[in-house]
Amino acid sequence: MRLIYLILFLTSFFTYSQHSLDYSFNRINRELLTNSDAVVRFDKLEIEISTIDKMVFRGHQVITILNEKGNSHARMILGYDNEKKIRSLNATIYDRNGKKIKDVKKKEFKDYSATDGFSLYTDNRVLAFTYLPIEYPYTIDFKYEAQTSDTGAIPSWYFTSDYNISVEKSEYTIQYAVPDLKPVIIESNLGDIDFQKSVLDDIIVYKAQNIHAINQEILSPSFQNIVPKLLVRLPKFNYKGVKGRINSWEDAGIWMGKLLKGQDKLPANTINTINHLVGDVKDDLEKAKIVHQYVQDNTRYISVQVGIGGLKPISAIEVDEVKYGDCKGLSNYTIALLKAVGVEAFYTVVEAGSNKVDFLDDFADLAQGNHVIVAIPYNDKYYWIDCTSQVHPFGFIGDFTDDRKALVVKPNGGELVKTQAYLDSVNFQLTTSKLKINSEGSVIADVQIKTKGIQYDYHFNLEDKNDDDVKEYYKDYWDNIGNLKINNYQFVNDKKNVIFTEEVKITASKYATFVQDKIIFEPNLFNNHSYIPKRYRNRKLPFKIQRGYLDEDEFKISVPSNYEFESIPEAFEIDNKFGFYKIRLEKQNEDLVLKRKVFIKSGLYPNTEYESYRNFMRTISKRDRLKIVLNKSIKHNRNDE
Amino acid sequence: MTNKYFFILLILFFNQVLPQNTEFGEVSLNELEEESYLNDKDANAAILYKKIDTYLISSGGNSRLVTYIQERIKIYNNDGFDSATKEVYLFKNRTSAEKVQKLKAFTFNLVNGEIEKTELEKDQIFETESSYYYNKLSFTMPNVKEGSVIELKYEVSSPFIWSIDSFVFQYDIPVKKLDAEIRNPKGFNFKKTPKGNIFVFPKTFSKRDNRIGMDVVVTKYALNNVPALKEESFVDNIDNYRSGVMFELMSIDIPGLSKSYAKSWKDVAKTIGSSSDYKNELDKTRLFTDNVESLISGMNSDEERMKVIFKHVKENFKWNGVDGKYFLNGFKKTLKEKSGNAADINLLLVAMLRNAGLDANPVLISTKENTIPFFPTVDRLNYVIGYVKANEKSYYLDATNKFSDLNLLPLKDYNWRGILINNPDKVWALVDLNTPKTGTKRFFIESQLKVDGSLEGKLSSRFSNHFAMTFREFIEEVDKENYVSELETKLSDIEISNHEVKNIDELSGPVSESFEFYQDAAAEDLGGKLYLKPMLFLAMDENPFKSETRDYPIDFGFPFKNDFVFKIKLPEGYKVESLPKSIMMKIPNNLGMFKYNTNSLDGIVDVTVSYSINKARVSTEDYLFLKQFYNQMISKESEPLVLSKI
Repeated sequence: MRLIYLILFLTSFFTYSQHSLDYSFNRINRELLTNSDAVVRFDKLEIEISTIDKMVFRGHQVITILNEKGNSHARMILGYDNEKKIRSLNATIYDRNGKKIKDVKKKEFKDYSATDGFSLYTDNRVLAFTYLPIEYPYTIDFKYEAQTSDTGAIPSWYFTSDYNISVEKSEYTIQYAVPDLKPVIIESNLGDIDFQKSVLDDIIVYKAQNIHAINQEILSPSFQNIVPKLLVRLPKFNYKGVKGRINSWEDAGIWMGKLLKGQDKLPANTINTINHLVGDVKDDLEKAKIVHQYVQDNTRYISVQVGIGGLKPISAIEVDEVKYGDCKGLSNYTIALLKAVGVEAFYTVVEAGSNKVDFLDDFADLAQGNHVIVAIPYNDKYYWIDCTSQVHPFGFIGDFTDDRKALVVKPNGGELVKTQAYLDSVNFQLTTSKLKINSEGSVIADVQIKTKGIQYDYHFNLEDKNDDDVKEYYKDYWDNIGNLKINNYQFVNDKKNVIFTEEVKITASKYATFVQDKIIFEPNLFNNHSYIPKRYRNRKLPFKIQRGYLDEDEFKISVPSNYEFESIPEAFEIDNKFGFYKIRLEKQNEDLVLKRKVFIKSGLYPNTEYESYRNFMRTISKRDRLKIVLNKSIKHNRNDE
Repeated sequence: MTNKYFFILLILFFNQVLPQNTEFGEVSLNELEEESYLNDKDANAAILYKKIDTYLISSGGNSRLVTYIQERIKIYNNDGFDSATKEVYLFKNRTSAEKVQKLKAFTFNLVNGEIEKTELEKDQIFETESSYYYNKLSFTMPNVKEGSVIELKYEVSSPFIWSIDSFVFQYDIPVKKLDAEIRNPKGFNFKKTPKGNIFVFPKTFSKRDNRIGMDVVVTKYALNNVPALKEESFVDNIDNYRSGVMFELMSIDIPGLSKSYAKSWKDVAKTIGSSSDYKNELDKTRLFTDNVESLISGMNSDEERMKVIFKHVKENFKWNGVDGKYFLNGFKKTLKEKSGNAADINLLLVAMLRNAGLDANPVLISTKENTIPFFPTVDRLNYVIGYVKANEKSYYLDATNKFSDLNLLPLKDYNWRGILINNPDKVWALVDLNTPKTGTKRFFIESQLKVDGSLEGKLSSRFSNHFAMTFREFIEEVDKENYVSELETKLSDIEISNHEVKNIDELSGPVSESFEFYQDAAAEDLGGKLYLKPMLFLAMDENPFKSETRDYPIDFGFPFKNDFVFKIKLPEGYKVESLPKSIMMKIPNNLGMFKYNTNSLDGIVDVTVSYSINKARVSTEDYLFLKQFYNQMISKESEPLVLSKI
């Protein structure tokens, strides 16, 4: 599944003022240098809304870049489009002592297409200048002024824009000509920062200072969720020439509904085709499955973003003709086809990505969401489909849009609904194997892996890989097995029940090690947990396990008959708030059976718990690598002679 | 020296059953019904036919180079849909630009046994400015399904008549049939350099071209069943192996004018050497004479003067990432802005060195990201470095990277050879830039094993040459604390303290790293005995070469040698029960060796290990040796040391 439509600029903007500053590096408060790659000396955005379709931005940002890593924050870049025009922009670069190095005039900025990496075409553009620093630190003073008629997408204000950046001063001002144009502002994560705000009749001002830099840490919640920011929207606005009034998600749904109106017409022959395919099927869910299959077989995902196309889907007729579309176009087309066979379905806007981001309950605007899927109501429950994927089973959305609040656009208004969640044990994997170790220490094994839930999502695309890639995949998947050879494999993709089954036959020569008359090997060949999150001497941020899982393993191991077990690791169990781990090795007749179970729960945990989570992972990893020692048995040797 | 593996001929057999109608629009039922590609069942799409025609047209004294492209592509399944999207990059400069004209494209589908045809509409074609030098035309075909055949044709009309785009014969999907043709006006001699592993003999003849009123030389290429180009790791530049032909104006030989540009390396040297950047600029000194004088004052030898100027340029001028053998900025602007492309920086270096009285000259090369310059070429040289002869010794210098050193260039510079242009003495020479110096890593580890299987100790290591250079580059960009954390994870979850790196700011010479470590479960207690890998967390446990076969040479970048010395003190009350045997093995053809020695005395186990790869580049024929070598090395390194209670 792929991403969608951006268009609404969410990045923070910088602004203009007559402030005079001392740009020298020495003036920076020492505390702000800790963990910093860059220090924002001054960051100001002034927004002036004079009418519903006239808004002016004045940005001014002064940033001192401390080292090479800080360079990515030295962005002298400003986006524009058909509605947003750049009136002026310029920059000045200073050395560490605050002495001017260079003035950059508007004509030195280069004009680029604002490629988003996935669209075939977008009409968004940027003016940008790249400075090549000779030495660090250096300071950039960047100013601009722009005007737009789009008041429907006011950028959020981030008091700090990324990890490893500190801020001396940050100011956000929004002025409005009449009370009707007063914006709604939501404060998010301002708890820990030093800020003032003033709200007057025609102006709102926020000022913050001395924001310390934070380090990025693995498993931390997404930056968006921890950054101090302001979300801003106008209840009455203009967007790409369409006026609107949104005070609730219900309103947002009505506004979206207007854009969708009339887009669902289909040519008569397509209506015939789909009705013919559905035939006598009566059940709505069964009909929906047929339509979904038809869409998967007949269309593909291509993104083209022009004008209001950022929010409005191309018509079903157009998709029907070219057989491609972006998420909006394909969802709208699917809904139209469903309608043609009498099944109700809703256009649903969602924030996609493996990080789960909710639409905010009490803040309805058009800037949230970057993807569209389809919701099909059936028996008091929603079934979700993502029409940009040609391979996902019906009703299965994977980790791209799962478990998050999304805007469902219904005929009488919008509604926030949580999408399908794949939380813990539904993300299931069962690995079973019969394996044989011979007297040369080589392994011959038949392995079966069954996956469900999110684990299905991680495995089922094996089906579409070519032979080389499948083999490569297994060599990486089982990188604990040296000299691995994949002799044969077979997949069964049960789309109906969303279960993927892999049957693999492998050999690995010299898997075991010989010491004198002993054979030593690790019995957990096929689900060896080697991931240990890294150690932090001082973990600062909380950590999040987005999706849990349950793994079960059972390996039946036979060893050469002229060997006997010298040592078998003892059974082991651990159970804690993060889940549990169990491993047991037991003899069954001549063979050895390894049984293993790992359960990891999803959840958000404070920084103080990180070390114990890490220890849990270390314990698993250590226990998974325990070895077995076989001894040459004298009795059998005699028999052989 | 030429590398023989670049010239392996791949003989292609005809195995087409039916003759194909290649006329535009004549897509057959067979092609629509075809379910997979005969010679490559895994192909998601294939080019059924491609035609490339390049020729010159002339009207009203205005000449343009036209390239006609016609392509028929079969989409076998939905993973092949990407082949239904086209992006055409069109070069431009300040005043002129290439453009696409006469674009026509159709999608063909089989619907209930009938051929259905859908045309690409004008509003489905997008043109946009992609970068400073390129416009981009993009479109995706309508109505594409599994089994579709798409067909398209267009012309690229270019005002840049002397720079002819390469013909590409090999793609990421297989090609069933390809015809390519180039027509050059007689007397304008273009060199046609083949590349890749598929060799094709062109047909050449002359004829009259009425459109330009001149005789032309026609060169025709015809290929069948070209396999898809496969990606592999450790490849220098996959484009070196992509089959195709490169074109370059070699000489002009018409009545009244006879001139050679790139017939031989001598012509190349002459062409470049007589360009103004090389001819006049290198001896202009007034811009920096004072600066050079103050730098070299008090320096007595040529080497000292060279070093101080090299260091000065490295530290004060920043490479903007752009290659180039000619100036982008010129000296004046480079001195002012303190940055420039490869030519700005390295030619400035040469000029300053000359100004200081050294025998310094430029050497032109083609970097690894470019292609290998097998044949005399001007166009394919994309980069210039400096060369100094001092006291009978040769020094190569590249000031674009601050961590590079005398005769230690960034790896991209080692791409077969370069051409030295010595204008003052009016000589030129081909110089070898094939193999960098051997990089070495040495590790010394002293440790003490505890009864509970934990291990404590100290590691010190020393990296030289390219290992040092890459280490410096890497460490500059990472956060120190983060680096240590990642190192802990990488080295089997040890805990590191007192981490130190030395010599990092020197910009040259070896670097050292040292730290103390603690490993919680280094040894395993199995039935009362302790099992420990003697190489501890430095043992290699995964073979980088997993594939059974190999298509392209393996590029290690540089030859290298790793040495390890381990001293492991045993816990009280334990003795050695068995020690892995000492061994030594070599890869045939002197490609490399592995030496593993163990010894035990007075409760201390000594292990010394050394392994080396003696060539920067290993040929495909030696791949299996290499894979086997790594397998055996890994297997040896996993053998445990067994300790039992006294």
